[in-house]
Amino acid sequence: MSRADGILAFVKRECETCALVHPLLARLRAAGMPIRAVVQDEPGHFEDLAPLDDTALEETFRHDIETVPTLVRVEAGIETGRVVGWQRDEWRSFLGDDGIGEGMPAWQPGCGSKSREPGVHERLLVRYGDAGLASREIEVGEWDDPMEACFERGWTDGLPVVPPTDERILRMLAGTRRRPHEIVGRVPPNLAECTVEKVAINAVMAGCKPEYMPVVLAALEAALEPIFTMHGLLCTTCFSGPVIVVNGPIAKRIGMNWGINALGQGNRANATIGRALQLIVRNVGGGVPGELDRATLGGPGKYTFCFAEDETDPTWQPLSVARGIAPGRSAVTLFQGDGIQGFIDQRSRTPEEITRSLSMGLAAVGHPKLCQFTNAMLVLCAEHYAIYRNAGWDRARITKELHAALVRPGADLVQGAKGVGEGIDPKRADEAVPKFWEEGLLIVRAGGQAGLFSAILAGWTGGRFRHESQPVTREIVE
Amino acid sequence: MNAVTKLRDPTPEAAAVQRARKSASADLAGKTVGLLDIGKMRGSEYIDRLEVLLQARGIRTRRYAKPTNTRTAPIPILQAVATECDAVIIALSDCGSCTSCSTHDLNDLDLRGTPGVSVLTTEFRDAFANQCRAIGYAGASVFVPHPMQNRTTAELHAFAEASVEEILRGI
Repeated sequence: MSRADGILAFVKRECETCALVHPLLARLRAAGMPIRAVVQDEPGHFEDLAPLDDTALEETFRHDIETVPTLVRVEAGIETGRVVGWQRDEWRSFLGDDGIGEGMPAWQPGCGSKSREPGVHERLLVRYGDAGLASREIEVGEWDDPMEACFERGWTDGLPVVPPTDERILRMLAGTRRRPHEIVGRVPPNLAECTVEKVAINAVMAGCKPEYMPVVLAALEAALEPIFTMHGLLCTTCFSGPVIVVNGPIAKRIGMNWGINALGQGNRANATIGRALQLIVRNVGGGVPGELDRATLGGPGKYTFCFAEDETDPTWQPLSVARGIAPGRSAVTLFQGDGIQGFIDQRSRTPEEITRSLSMGLAAVGHPKLCQFTNAMLVLCAEHYAIYRNAGWDRARITKELHAALVRPGADLVQGAKGVGEGIDPKRADEAVPKFWEEGLLIVRAGGQAGLFSAILAGWTGGRFRHESQPVTREIVE
Repeated sequence: MNAVTKLRDPTPEAAAVQRARKSASADLAGKTVGLLDIGKMRGSEYIDRLEVLLQARGIRTRRYAKPTNTRTAPIPILQAVATECDAVIIALSDCGSCTSCSTHDLNDLDLRGTPGVSVLTTEFRDAFANQCRAIGYAGASVFVPHPMQNRTTAELHAFAEASVEEILRGI
């Protein structure tokens, strides 16, 4: 395309302000002013302005046009000035003619350039500019399906992934202020360096929207804190994987589910944030099942396990706040958890009853006779919590009473007792033995308003090393 | 080959772009090797001799035949090979379409857990390498002289005798 000197008028037919200035531009051109239209949609509509066809938006991209109409003056191939939209005084000054625009409004804003429609800028950047991505390019043959290519290279969890093209990666990177080449950490089991760009690639593949990036990054950083023991959690023969609980305003902002079916399928943010973390562990860390992931059975939560806490009831203290994050801030909590053990109680009426009842379910975590061996997460449904709330019990009271209800005589729990070999150390036969460490029972509120069905998530056996492996809560930085 | 889509590598790039192929056990004696005839003319004569040579080494063989060399193998054939064999030899590719399709078959069987080797004529060395690159798979190959269509049966048998050791090493 010519970069001849003169004035380029970036316009599109569907813009009312372009229609407003069109006759004026045509009169100026007819009078000898070197004006040409650069047309984003229908060049034929601007025949009287010697139109340049810019439906591919290359010239628009190179001049970084955000609004139409925009007039750009080019002298010796270099831009020397521009005016945006219709502003009579500015146009008069720019064109050096105090007489133009009589009878027209003094001011009318322009319309958005077609290059600024959703997703277009990233496409143009890939086509005409420098995407600035450092990761190795993988070419997919003309006749090959990019989704199949991802499967064949071993990049998926068994479900299809979104092929990570430059456009999609750039869009994903727009979801964070962090620079693409910044290193987030080293991902086990291979302890491979993971950049923000690699996080974005895997988030694309998982199906995330760019606005989920701060949550994905916070989840990854939490997973990489040494006390979370992601390395052991990945390589374990147990069932567990990282369970992500999201708190704070970001959960509502990105459309997460804490209500009906909160632990199930169907919500994009819930599904893809958890999946992104797992794909990072697989693709960056090298945590491939059967190779270094040695789970005997694994569990469906290892595809993805992420949900938000229900913070709509002001009587309930959010998990993140209980774990030291300021109220009103967004945070992730990562828990080393197994799948769901359903807890059904449709008869209890008092907080004492439901506490005794819940303690029976919680006592079964891992094994009924094992104690301080795993942590646990209790996902308390609305109707069960209502029993507590109506009696004035808050998070602290519920937690305290559950721990108290879970203290049992050691004689019943030692190895061999009740004809079962599994159990606690025989030396503890005379002790009153708590089921969990004091900090080892996490309570979260989630689920639909109807149904007396809470959920218990057993923790990983790594939790028996009380000071070596713990859940992690981390604030989400946006 | 025109690449219409470029993806970015989600891994730390510590490994080659191509996925490593699976390796069979070092000793195939007593194991079953599938002989997948891609359906090109004269290929069966080469495979006949190869089968005798494998059996003489204590290797069990099973024969499979694609209905056409111009398409990838039907899924039931691939499933049968993967179920019934410890490794596979795919022969004998001497054209562009059969090279491409048989390389996909080799990759498909590898992903199903059945390692193998593709036998092709020397003219298609580059085509095999290009197809492997396109699908991201470091496939194993053994080459016999090109052309093969105008050879005598004795010459094709000689190709088999000359290539059998390399094939076994390739698996």
